[in-house]
Amino acid sequence: MSAAALTMAGAELSAILEHCRRELPNEACGILGGRAGRVESVQPVQSAHPSPSRFAMEPTAQFLAMEELSRADRELVGIYHSHPGGPAVPSTADLQEACWPGTMLPNYPGAIQVIVSLQDGAAPIVRGYAADRGMFVEVPIRIDERETAR
Amino acid sequence: MPVTIRIPTPLQRLSGGKLEVTCSATSIEGLLEALEMAHPGMKERLTVSGKVRPFINLYVNGEDIRTLDAEASVLKDGDTVAIIAAIAGGHA
Repeated sequence: MSAAALTMAGAELSAILEHCRRELPNEACGILGGRAGRVESVQPVQSAHPSPSRFAMEPTAQFLAMEELSRADRELVGIYHSHPGGPAVPSTADLQEACWPGTMLPNYPGAIQVIVSLQDGAAPIVRGYAADRGMFVEVPIRIDERETAR
Repeated sequence: MPVTIRIPTPLQRLSGGKLEVTCSATSIEGLLEALEMAHPGMKERLTVSGKVRPFINLYVNGEDIRTLDAEASVLKDGDTVAIIAAIAGGHA
């Protein structure tokens, strides 16, 4: 199951936001490695077909990013993507594609889905969700300012 | 030496909880059949109309089969096949 919350350092949040802004006007995506709901690494992953309203990680880039996590002995604790022109809430596509096709089984049950809204560029909104029996349940994202980026 | 298959979490209930299984196969098509024989229900979860489902990626030693010969991709003893769900979505 997913952790009940996701904790990250301010520097890690900044890395996510910088990536999301860099990809504008398209959606950005990446994976978060760590342990027990604490983010230790932010890995941007290129989208196969960059779009302002869709993302799909390029398959080989996704594979390599996940292999890197394993080599670093980290778990996949989160998956992030941006909604450049929409709210920080999961879309129907987000939910459908977070589950194994034809089932309500989450593809990555240990990972929190992090959505970054850039609707208001000056004030991005970041929210986290856990997939649970075909639904997304919001979970807190905690920013630990005492942590430093690794 | 057989082929090793890495099973993703949502399919581990079909593999008896195993993260990896082995089977003998000389192609991805053959591997899908062998998986189904050993772990019934696996083929339906992985394919539709004989093709690997959209949003499901299979990798042979780290290479996406869609960049090889798709379902006809050749396997040899000692290969590792990873089954990994695509990560996708979006605001649309």
